[in-house]
Amino acid sequence: MKAKATRLVTLTVVGIALAGCAPSTGAGGNSSAAGDQGNGQGTVKMVLWPGPEGDAMSKVVAAYNAGQGQKDKVKVDMALLSRQDTFSKESTLMAAKSSQQDIYFVATYNVGQFANALDPLTSVDASNYFPVAVDGLKYQGKQFALPLDVSNHFLLYRKDLLDKLLSSKSQWPAYEAVATKAIGEKRDPKPADQWDWNDYIAMSAWFSKSANPTSPTQYGTILQAKNLLFNTMIWDDVLWGEGGSWTTPDGKANLNTPQALKAVNVYSTIYKNGWTSKDSSQAEFPETQAALKAGSAAFALQWSAGFAELNDPAKSPQVAGKIAIAPVPGQKTHVHALAVALNKYSDNKAAATKFLNYLATTDAMTAYAKAGGIPAMPSVLKANASINPAFDKIAESIDKYGYSEPVFPNTFQAYSKLAEVLSGAWVGQQDGAAALKDANDELQKLLG
Amino acid sequence: MAATTASRGAAAKWVLGSPLILFAAIFVAYPVYQGIQTGFFGLSLQNPEVPFTGLSNFTTVLTDPGFLAAARFTILFALAVTALETVLGFGLALLMNRQFPGKRVFFTMLLVPIMIAPALMGVMFRLLLNGDIGLVPALLHGVGIDISLFAPDTVVPLLVLLDVLQWTPFTFLIIYAGLQSFPTDVLEAAQIDGAGWWRTLGSVVLPIMRPIIFAAVFLRLIDAIRTFDVIYVLTAGGPGTKTTTMSIYIYKTAFESGQFGMAAAASTIVMIALVPFVPLLVKRIVHPGRGAA
Repeated sequence: MKAKATRLVTLTVVGIALAGCAPSTGAGGNSSAAGDQGNGQGTVKMVLWPGPEGDAMSKVVAAYNAGQGQKDKVKVDMALLSRQDTFSKESTLMAAKSSQQDIYFVATYNVGQFANALDPLTSVDASNYFPVAVDGLKYQGKQFALPLDVSNHFLLYRKDLLDKLLSSKSQWPAYEAVATKAIGEKRDPKPADQWDWNDYIAMSAWFSKSANPTSPTQYGTILQAKNLLFNTMIWDDVLWGEGGSWTTPDGKANLNTPQALKAVNVYSTIYKNGWTSKDSSQAEFPETQAALKAGSAAFALQWSAGFAELNDPAKSPQVAGKIAIAPVPGQKTHVHALAVALNKYSDNKAAATKFLNYLATTDAMTAYAKAGGIPAMPSVLKANASINPAFDKIAESIDKYGYSEPVFPNTFQAYSKLAEVLSGAWVGQQDGAAALKDANDELQKLLG
Repeated sequence: MAATTASRGAAAKWVLGSPLILFAAIFVAYPVYQGIQTGFFGLSLQNPEVPFTGLSNFTTVLTDPGFLAAARFTILFALAVTALETVLGFGLALLMNRQFPGKRVFFTMLLVPIMIAPALMGVMFRLLLNGDIGLVPALLHGVGIDISLFAPDTVVPLLVLLDVLQWTPFTFLIIYAGLQSFPTDVLEAAQIDGAGWWRTLGSVVLPIMRPIIFAAVFLRLIDAIRTFDVIYVLTAGGPGTKTTTMSIYIYKTAFESGQFGMAAAASTIVMIALVPFVPLLVKRIVHPGRGAA
């Protein structure tokens, strides 16, 4: 009897405790209700992720601390978190309304999700930036982040192999035969900048030993088909290139369409026929670099950041000088900006804003480009084309072919969910139409 | 006098135990409480108001086909790796219980995998098994075997194999420690009675070792159910959701979807499912005779 009573009392207390107090969201000394402007001086804490962007920013921060920062009486202290978990850790800080960091690292694909924890930027001069980068960082009409680095896709291909095919007309009949089998129509080989998605499939077959035993490469291409949100961005190029998109003009989910099915079929056709390695089902950026470096694939859709390494004789001795760059077939490239944003709960907003204003200058972004970053300012990219031959192409490609997926609070979730639902269909594990129907339903739920 | 000694003894118990109690309260009890509590609220990045949602997160998780698929995969994966690791660990323990040349070197090599952080192990495997630059596919190709280790048909057996490679030393170590304290007189008695090796193993060694094997199975099973690092690094739960474990589901729900309340509810459900097994283990270890009956 006594034990029963004790259990009842315990349950009641637990129930009251659960209902009565919400989980802690940072009411401790580490946070404040809505931040503070501070005195405009002192240390500004910033988060970035490691890799080319973090390395480049380290040099910009060092230059600021040694120069302009002295005048501003501001010192920037940058922390590099792990590349994989930067956003997870930031999410936790944001959920806790922490003032630990003054400037967060964000991106086009999560700014809508993070907007509640950010202050809108009111003094950004958007005219220096790619419009697609600026627009991608707007949420509900407000600019929430300053573009820093821009990422898009290219078709990276073996120029030596394609040029040889284009110049050897004796091989064309054989190519036509392979193309007819692959896409059901006779096609001549074309220069890479004229490919559509059928050319991509036909070329994948031609440069695969399984369809063309004389192929100089084992596989035509490598698909980035791992269940990873960044791979949704690459597949989106196929979707947009085939005339599709995530949403209808009135904002409804739009994946249950013939265009989306064509886009899934581009992947599944290549995968099921063995014109990409079977390991592509777990491939992302590094695996694609490895396949191109090793010479086992003739071409691939790849992030712009991959080009410089592939043409570096020290890092890619087998293929350096042989890799060329062309627009993505279908002439559409996803563009996203990596960006910096002001923490709404920062206790030193005025000083942080000084540094953000500095980052918005062409001088700062020139230093960023020279340190290995890809700034989102077209004028800086063009002026520094001698540093990285891809800069000029990036500027042209984003300007002509760039698009940005819709920004809404669940954009980040949508990328992940689409990768989860569609990655099985990309590699032929699931029916494409069924997967797209599921994807459409999931997207609609996230759109609200 | 006796009362004073008893009360001093009781006081000493609390004083000596207080660091552990304090540690458990701060780093175990409080986070567990916070986690359970969060499951009852709609905490998400898009929802700073944190409304009380009652059991809604729990019912959403329990009716989510993604969670159920993750639970099914996790259970099958955990059972498969635990069975293999127990059998192999037991075999290795029997082998290492004998004297042979190079035993120390072999013993040391056996323990290396459990000293490597699982996430690092994942990165290493990702490089070693890469079809273009990996050592393993190159060696297999050299002997005429061309296999895509990460293909949808082979990826699950590959993940099982990698888990077995990493964690068999753990079960081996526990069982080997048990064999070290095995009563030799029992073995001698079996020998005198004319029992062969298999008979001794089945009728003498296994029954006596049962509590220890049970502990190894239990610890490994619980750990396998929480598997995250290697699978996340290698497949991120794909293709599709084919290799999504419950831990990956929880991680993605919290940090990709920003649904902390739902992730906490899923964590609580997993905890509730596992906690009832703890008394079983304790009973088997504390009263092995009763448990083995």
